[in-house]
Parts: sequence; C-alpha cells; structure tokens
Amino acid sequence: MNDTLTSDVIGRRVDVNGEHATIRFYGIVPPVAGLWLGVEWDNPERGKHDGSHEGTVYFKCRHPTGGSFVRPNKVNFGVDFLTAIKKRYVLEDGPEEDGKEQIVTIGNKPVETIGFDSIIKQQSENKLRFPSDSLSSTGRFTTLKVLVLSRTGITWAEVLQCAAGWPVLEELYLESNSISISERPIDILQTLKLLDLSSNRLIDENQLFLIAYLPRLEQLILSDIGISSLHFPDSGIGCKSSMFPSLQYLVLNDNRISQWSFINELDKLPSLQALSCLRNPLTEGSGAETARQFIIARIGQLQTLNKCKILPEERRGAELDYRKAFGNAWKKAGGHQDPAQNRPNEEFLAAHPRYQSLCLKYGAPEDGELKIQQPFLLKNQLLTLKIKYPNKLDEKVIEKQLPDSMTIQKVKGLLSRLLKIPVSDLLLSYESPKMPGREIELENDQQSLQFYSVENGDCLLVRW
Amino acid sequence: MRECLSIHVGQAGVQIGDACWELYCLEHGIQPDGAVLDSKKDRLENAKMVPMAASFNTFFCESRAGKHVPRAFFMDLEPTVIDGIRTGKYRSLFHPEQLVSGKEDAANSYARGHYSVGSEIIDLVLERIRKLAEPCNGLQGFLIFRSFGGGTGSGFTSLLMEQLSIHYGRKTKLEFCVYPAPRISTAVVEPYNSVLTTHATLEHSDCTFMVDNEALYDICHHQLGIERPSYTSINGLVGQAVSSITASLRFEGPLNVDLIEFQTNLVPYPRIHFPMTAFAPIVSADKAYHKTFSVSDITTACFEFSNQLVKCDPRLGQYMACCLLYRGDVVPKDVNAAIAAMKSRHSIQFVDWCPTGFKVGINNHPPTMMPGGHLAKVQRAVCMLSNTTAVVEAWARLDHKFDLMYAKKAFLHWYIREGMEEGEFLEAREDLAALERDYEEVGQSLRYDGKNEY
Repeated sequence: MNDTLTSDVIGRRVDVNGEHATIRFYGIVPPVAGLWLGVEWDNPERGKHDGSHEGTVYFKCRHPTGGSFVRPNKVNFGVDFLTAIKKRYVLEDGPEEDGKEQIVTIGNKPVETIGFDSIIKQQSENKLRFPSDSLSSTGRFTTLKVLVLSRTGITWAEVLQCAAGWPVLEELYLESNSISISERPIDILQTLKLLDLSSNRLIDENQLFLIAYLPRLEQLILSDIGISSLHFPDSGIGCKSSMFPSLQYLVLNDNRISQWSFINELDKLPSLQALSCLRNPLTEGSGAETARQFIIARIGQLQTLNKCKILPEERRGAELDYRKAFGNAWKKAGGHQDPAQNRPNEEFLAAHPRYQSLCLKYGAPEDGELKIQQPFLLKNQLLTLKIKYPNKLDEKVIEKQLPDSMTIQKVKGLLSRLLKIPVSDLLLSYESPKMPGREIELENDQQSLQFYSVENGDCLLVRW
Repeated sequence: MRECLSIHVGQAGVQIGDACWELYCLEHGIQPDGAVLDSKKDRLENAKMVPMAASFNTFFCESRAGKHVPRAFFMDLEPTVIDGIRTGKYRSLFHPEQLVSGKEDAANSYARGHYSVGSEIIDLVLERIRKLAEPCNGLQGFLIFRSFGGGTGSGFTSLLMEQLSIHYGRKTKLEFCVYPAPRISTAVVEPYNSVLTTHATLEHSDCTFMVDNEALYDICHHQLGIERPSYTSINGLVGQAVSSITASLRFEGPLNVDLIEFQTNLVPYPRIHFPMTAFAPIVSADKAYHKTFSVSDITTACFEFSNQLVKCDPRLGQYMACCLLYRGDVVPKDVNAAIAAMKSRHSIQFVDWCPTGFKVGINNHPPTMMPGGHLAKVQRAVCMLSNTTAVVEAWARLDHKFDLMYAKKAFLHWYIREGMEEGEFLEAREDLAALERDYEEVGQSLRYDGKNEY
C-alpha cells in the first residue's frame, strides 16, 4: 500500500495478521512520533484500550478493549474484488481460458455490467468497502443468486442500499458483521430464500420483526446472536402468527434460550418444519435428556429436530411423555377428565398452549398415570389399615401398618395374638371408602392382601 | 472406453451403493428414471455437454431409448434390502437383472456366505456380471463395496473375488470396505468374519479403501452437529468420499487420475494395499461460508485425525504414499504451495525409502451436495488416500479380538457346522500376523545400526 494515506482511509476495513478491524482514526498520537492508525477490532478483546490514550480520546470503540493504535505499514488493506479475481485465476503469462466452467468469462469490463450466473462471490476474503453514494447508477447484478458478505463490516443500511441491484437474490450470508437491523426491506430482497445472520450479536427479537414479512424466506440462520426471548405480538396463545409466513428451517444454536416460553412461541410459526436448537441453556444441563422430547411435543408441526428426522413413533412417545409430565400441574390448575369440568387457568394455558390439544388427541391423563412412583422402600409398601370388630363394638378401632404382600394367614395370626382368640375362629373381610356399602370377604388364607386389592386407608373387619 | 463396474454386496454394500448412485445421478444431472436433465435451461450444463457425454460413459451405459443405466450390480442373500431399492426412488434407474437377492441370508456367518448359501447363488451372479461386462469396450476394473463384519459381505465377497480373478484375470479390483469399528460392534462374530475374509481376499484385491462406522459417527456428531446420526447421514459421507475418488473417471479435469494410476502410486508392495481415506472440508450446512476454505486449509485438515474415515492415528505411523484428489475451484499453484507446506511439517513422517510421495489429481467439477443433506455446499473439496503404516493398528485390534474369542473356541461351531475346518481359522490368523509383520518391516528405517547385522 502507499506510504502516504489520506484521511479518507477512515472507515476502511483492514486485516492485521488475520484479525479484521475498521479504521477509526489516522494521525499523530503524542508522545510517540510518527503516524498511527487507530483501529477498532472485530474481536472486542483483541485491543488494548477503547480509543483513548493518556487521557485524550482519539476515537470511540464499542468495547473498553476494542481498540489499538497500529503503524500504517503493518496493516493489510486488501485488494478490491476484480484484482482478487484476476490474481487468482489469471496466470502471469496471459489470461487463461477459464477452466472453471461456472464462471462466465470475466473480461476486462467493469464488474457492474456483467450478469453473474449464480456464482458465489466470496467477499469475506476481501475487505470490501461500499461507496457512500448509491450503487443504482452503476448497474445491476441481474442474475446473482447467492451472495456472501460475511465479516466485511457491512451495515444493514448498506445492504438495503445495494439490494436494489440484486433483483433475484436467493441466499444472503451476513455472518459476523455486527449488524443491527434498522429498517424493514420494502420491495427489495423479496425473492430471498435463505438469510444467515449468525454471530451478529446486536440483533434482538424486535429487529427480527422487521424482516418478518419477507414472503419467500424459507431458511433463517440465527446462531450465536445471544437471543433469549421471543414473543410474537400479533397472535395469542395457541394461534398462528402471520410473521415469517414461509419459514421452514430455523437455526438457533449457541444462543441464550433458557425459557420454555420461547419454544412455545415457535409453535406459532405457520410453516416451520425443521429446527436446530443446540447448545442453549435450555437444552444443556440437567434437563438435557428430556429437552428433545419436550421440544417435539411443544411444536406440533415439527418434522426435523437438530437434523434428525422425527419419526411418528418418536413424536407419539414425546407427546405422551409431555402430557404425563405436566399432568399433575394441569390438575392443580383446574384440569379435569370430564370435559364439562375442565377449566385450567390462564397461567397454565400460557405455559402449555398445546396441552389441551394433546388431551383431545390422546385423552386426558388418567389418575393412575399421574401417580408419582414412590421409591421402592419397605415403608412405602406398607398399607395403613383400620381394624374394626363389628361383633364387639366396644373394642377400640386400631390402626396398623401391614405390608401388602402379607398373607391372610399371617394377618389372622397377628390378630389372634392381639385378641387372644384362636386363628381358626377368625373371619376376615374388608371394606373400602371407595366402595361404600360393600364388604369383601378375605376367605383364602394363602393369598396376600394385595391379591384382594386392599389399599391404603381401607378397613379390616374381624368377626369370630 | 475405461468403463468401471460397481458391485455392491451385502446390506452395507447395497446401502452405500444407494447413496453413491444417488449422488452420481445428481452430479450428472440424471433423473430417477434414467433420462438426462434438460440442459438448455442451464448454461453450465451446456458448456459441459460434449465432454460429459464421453465421461459418464464410464459409469453409465446408454440404452437405445436414451435411458442411462448405471453399470452397477447389487446383490444380497436376503431380499429385504434389495427390495428397498426395487421400491425406492431410483427403482426405474436399474434394470431388474442388476438387483439380485436370495431367500435365506448368511446370518452373519462367513461360512454360510462362502460355502453353503453363497455357493448356490454364485453362478447366477457371475452370469449377470458377465452380461454387464460384455458391452464394455475397455473394462478398467471392478469397484466392490462390502462390509467386513457381515456374513454376505465377508463370505460371499471372498468367493466372488476368487471367481472374478479366474474369469477376468488382470482387471483391477478395488474394494471399499466397512471395517468393524473399534468400540461399536454390530455383530459379535465380526472378528472371525473379518479375519477370514481378509485372508481369503488378500491376493485377489488390488487396493482396499477402508471406512469405519465409529469414525463416521464421530464426524457426524462433532463436525456436522447431528445429534443422532442415522445410516443415511453416514452413507452420505461415504458417498461423498467415493464420489471424489471416482470423479476423475467421470469428469474431465486438468489432472486426471484413473484406477491404474491409483494402484501404481499408492501400493508399494502387493500385500500393503490398505490406504486410509480422509475427506475435507466437512462442515455443516448451517455454517456454510462462516469460514472460507482455501486449498491449504483443506489440505491441512486432511491430515487431522478428526477428518479420517477410519479410526487409526496417522501420527503413530509413517506415510508411504499419499494421493490428494482435489475437486472444484482449485488452481495448481495453490496445490503446490499447500503440499510444500505439508512436507515441511514435522508431524508428517514419510518412510525413508519414499521421500516424495504425493500424487495429485485435480478435477474442476465441484462437489455436489445432496439436497436436504447435512454437508454444506463448498466450492472445493479434497479426498486424501494415504498408505500409512498406522493402519497396522486396525489389524492389530482385529487380531486381538479374534484371539480372545478363538482361545475359548467361542461361536466356532456355527462355522464348523457349515463345513469349515479349524485349520482355516489358523491359516487366516497366520496370514494376518504375517501382514502385521510386513507393515512393521516396511516402516523400518533403512539405516543399519551395528546391532541389526549379526
């Protein structure tokens, strides 16, 4: 690069040993002699300060360690697009007949007047700077379909400015550009099918609404943008949103999603078929194994999760598990097997919008399903039974704890020792509060209490 | 001219074949019914029309109706997998005679695949292969896809290879084998099957490319972000590797490599014919364009353990020969620079008697990705085939497992019952022990210290 730089170098993108930066200042920084370039690095931890040196502020950075002063001859300004292409494909001894059949011959005409045939313009190698005046006068890329502008420092405004020249653009990659979406694209980018906004940490959910009406957007890649919440304002619980009408594949890896409400919101997307949601707080840690099943259950039309197809058996299993897992909460919130009495409260419905439809599909969860399994300790196996003596009503009713595997013979033995009456005289039966009025005889001595379905809280009746 | 016949044996071979032929059809623009895609719309295809017609003749045969029929043969001893192809998306691509299935499978037993069940069907198979080979002007050779651990893949293939050597004498036979993974096992008797088949096929095969399931699972999981890789995703990866290896045969390119050249450059001794495969770049479709992959990047990646398709650490061995097959947007000047950089790295050790060792092939046709697949579309890719002494680790593992089972004569009766003798086991084991010693000898340095000479 030339030794003498003019002040319009500010704003240009440079590369120092592989690290990219934008020039923010050019001039003298006392007390050290010579000219310095003040740069703001893409990587906020790379720098030494935030643009100020010994008290004087020369330029501003977004981060306290985002800036440095470097010598102009140590930076690489890169080359412009045409030169890069020529250097790569044209041999020193003359223009080679482009063996790359994909690229229609790039003659010596200026770039603007050629229509490229869906080639990939890899502009992340070059440091491209868009002129501040609009590009509309310089022509259009009439057949450009795929454009990669990752790590070029481009801003959303610039993208929209140039988008008029990309009438049939289908895929746009804008990774790592610190983009924040400032306005809605109107009449431009309407043919866009894939948009990659990964690693643009300034994006938040409100900005996403500005691109929500692109009619043909099918794939949206939002990895590593730090998003943690999402709420579609135009639709209530359980309804479909009108935003992102064609979105089929959404990638949300490496974000900060930790609430299930986020996943519930995703169910509102009308066309969503595939989702990738790895390495988020919600899916790591203690809930990791069930996270996949709950995501499947919460988003009804999902067909592929984390690149694995969801088979019908898996979906059925996941939905049944989800229904069972929250069954108790549903009951507490007012749910009931009888549809007439089924009125779960608003809070529950907001947290589990699909629960009602799952109940319709598989039936409301039975009480038997919702019983929490007690750990297999002996004390959990004991039945607390009342013992009544109908013949001798003045005897006290006593309570005893007996294991359900105890045979009737042993029960009689216990009672005979208690009452001082021989075993052969005893006749046992029981009654249960669940079946009022009925008395069931326990006639077979070899069977256990469990055989007769004696349950906790039942009452044994002893006669002799 | 230069036709290649692909033979797919057993479930593994057939399923890999499914993935491969799907990829070939996409690359050549052939529809599932055999017709070529309309090329007037796509300017790219037009530019390649003339050379393509000659090149895909190596893998496809054009019938009088204008249909392109693959030069492939699928066989299995039981019908389930082949029925999958007969009713699948590409059912009208294959002629019914190319898909052969038996009724009773080999039940994971080399003995059944080779002796009892296999011997009944071998004649039919040879007859069908002859019908495929006859219309070829200059048959280069056979590509055989199979697994080591299965019954059909091990037993029947060894029988087939013997017969092919008899009938087709000097034609090259290249194998693509699924080696039993070190820690994941799909059958308990894999070591028996693998050792027996390696012994039987050693002198009939010219070059055997190995892949193993564990390495493929790890690649899918770590680099492609697939939580639970299915055989479809794994076979897709293998398909890409195979496609890169055969790309020179199917497309024109500035530096083409054909089957004989592979052998000449990769196989220093007839028995040392087990190169390892590595493929780069392997990047998930979500991360497309997040990183630019220059020629030197992908070349370096090939030498990394994580990109290998077999779990053998090349750092523990020495390279004898290396074949780099580039495809896509690659210029020779970058390739030379990348190779020079690799040679100067200390971690890459070449044997003393072969200091140069790099064979390069460049093909301009970029890698095609399957729609809905997991790999990102990249502009350039490389497949590396390296003959390294580290592969002896794979054989050592296998032999160790074989010894453990054979010492107790476990599961042996299933083989004896079908007519095999214990002598065959011992013979096979001896052969593999000799193979291990051959590798060690080859890796030794030429310098004599005084101690070696007595």
